[in-house]
Amino acid sequence: MEQFLQATIIGVSLGTQYALLALGFTLIFGILGVVNFSHGGFYMLGGYVAYACVAHAGLPYPLAVLVAILATGALGWVFELLLIERLVDDHLATLMLTLGLYLVMSTAMLEIFGPLSMDFRFPVTGALRAGPIYAPLENLVVLGVCLIAILGLWLILFRTDLGRALRALADDRSVAMAQGLRPKILFPAAFALATGLAGLTGALVTPILSLSPGVADPVLATSFLTVILGGLGSLGGAALAAFIVGIVEAYSSVYFGGSIGALVLFVLVLLLLVFRPQGLLGREIRGA
Amino acid sequence: MKMHTTTLMAALAVALGATAAHAQSCEIKVGAMGPMSGGAAQWGLAMSGAAELAAAEVNAVGGIEIGGKKCKVVIVPYDSKYTADGAAAGANAFASQDIHVIVGPVGSPEATGIKPVAARNQQLAWNAAYAKNALEPKFPLMFHIAPAPAVWADPMIKQVLKTFPMKSVALVAPNDQAGTDIVAVDAEKYRANGIQTTEEYYQRGTTNFAPIVTRLLAAKPDVIDTASSPPGDAGVIVKQLRLAGFAGPIGRLGGPGTEEIIRVAGGIDVLKDFFWYETVATGDPKVQEIDALYRKFLGKDPVGGTALWGNLPAARMTMKAIAAAGTAEDAVKIAEAMRKLPVEDPNMGKGYWTGGKQYGIAQELHFPFGVGIIKDGKNLGVTRMEAHPD
Repeated sequence: MEQFLQATIIGVSLGTQYALLALGFTLIFGILGVVNFSHGGFYMLGGYVAYACVAHAGLPYPLAVLVAILATGALGWVFELLLIERLVDDHLATLMLTLGLYLVMSTAMLEIFGPLSMDFRFPVTGALRAGPIYAPLENLVVLGVCLIAILGLWLILFRTDLGRALRALADDRSVAMAQGLRPKILFPAAFALATGLAGLTGALVTPILSLSPGVADPVLATSFLTVILGGLGSLGGAALAAFIVGIVEAYSSVYFGGSIGALVLFVLVLLLLVFRPQGLLGREIRGA
Repeated sequence: MKMHTTTLMAALAVALGATAAHAQSCEIKVGAMGPMSGGAAQWGLAMSGAAELAAAEVNAVGGIEIGGKKCKVVIVPYDSKYTADGAAAGANAFASQDIHVIVGPVGSPEATGIKPVAARNQQLAWNAAYAKNALEPKFPLMFHIAPAPAVWADPMIKQVLKTFPMKSVALVAPNDQAGTDIVAVDAEKYRANGIQTTEEYYQRGTTNFAPIVTRLLAAKPDVIDTASSPPGDAGVIVKQLRLAGFAGPIGRLGGPGTEEIIRVAGGIDVLKDFFWYETVATGDPKVQEIDALYRKFLGKDPVGGTALWGNLPAARMTMKAIAAAGTAEDAVKIAEAMRKLPVEDPNMGKGYWTGGKQYGIAQELHFPFGVGIIKDGKNLGVTRMEAHPD
């Protein structure tokens, strides 16, 4: 029972972090139709920006997180406006562009900060304990911030004109444009929103785990796996899948060990692709 | 027409000048390979740094004499990413640059990847792997930088028990050859000392170890040993173990990298009680001089921590072997020269060629090694452990 409760706490914590990453990833695909291979790079960049703000500029950590969101959001905006926008309908070109951006970002961080992990610590330490069960305070803080961010994203998308416009573009771009919606403004905004979310996650999670140029690779893999499970382009699906991935990862790793735990997730996605290729909440675009 | 002729004459003069300059220059390229990014980056950078220092030392006295000419040694680094395919690709990349001598790679997956490719390319290479087949008689161009746990784990455990008595230990490592081979040997040595063992493995690339930590604690061990987990991973494991309330000693019968572990874990206070293996006796002032040598010859601070010190004798032996063989291209001749070299290093002292008993091929450098202890958040230093012949 102790292990079950502990695994649940770990799973929810993982799920929240995965949700923030997956929402950004699927937002870009849903609205622009672009598979953003630089998503993990923005997570890493968020971590490094927050680290630089704390370690070199002496900013308090919450302000550093804010700067990280703004910096990654701004870079996402500029990248979309200057490069993605020109080739937005060419899937192969955007794939190569985003992959290229990721390589540039990781190499830049490697050159600037070196290959070793940074001494980047979360300002809150300790854990809430109830017998053998524990919940790290830093994870609780991240959980709270992530839930607020997810709620904020939901409010933006479902309660504002910007959100309505973005969803309209995602539903049917040509009809939305005929109604006067302008992709040249809205696409960069969507991209910035998504990369800002990745930057926020990086700034929150890297001081808890570790920060080095290699941290982006597993993030991209997890984001991809989550959005495939949830249905590419589906925001609700991504959020649901993120929690499923987190919980499954935690339970399978705790009960079956680290090796089988990783395998269980891939088997789950494989089964889903066989029986429900559009994902949990994705729409079927083209019949088989 | 006159202008055309003049242009041709000038081009010819430039071409002849370039050819003459090329004929006078003599350069030996030596590869340096290891993971230079990711959780094990410290080990790869240490390999590259050791090769650079050894090259700078010989270049400072005019280089290595080949065919009557003094040749400058240039180190070409390659990030093999702690993977078999990375090391195999690296060996081929070096072959395409006519590089036949490689200092590195580091880990077991890399050693597995490079052995057949380097043999095919006729390249001499070193590895620092702890795999059971780090050396094999069928790959005579492969040398071993330092012994595996089969040699040092037992004396190390006996040394550690003086500070941290224990009845049970849980070992954790990646689930590939680099992890399973070492944990199997470490566990055998712990059991030989009357200590119960449990083993736990994780997928390389894992970033959050909270589920693994839960499993480790379920076994209620006195001590947890991170074995050959890369320093970046080990740092996160230590941090999450302490957060989960584990108060016992944490150890490391595996590769060095304590500086990185301290940094990732959040400070020496978080480690609290910790022990680790050092490939060389890092408490020896003569060994510590290597950092000053690095700054003197290369004009920058060394990267890679104590692992650089451990790799330096192999890099220096490589330079000596090239000089003795009189070639940088014939790896067979260089290997022959290497085997005849006495195992002596200006910083490490006297060592031995070992490996004959364990691998059937005595191509392993064995110098005095060290056991480091941190007790109650205080670094008690590294105890020197003497090397012995096979």
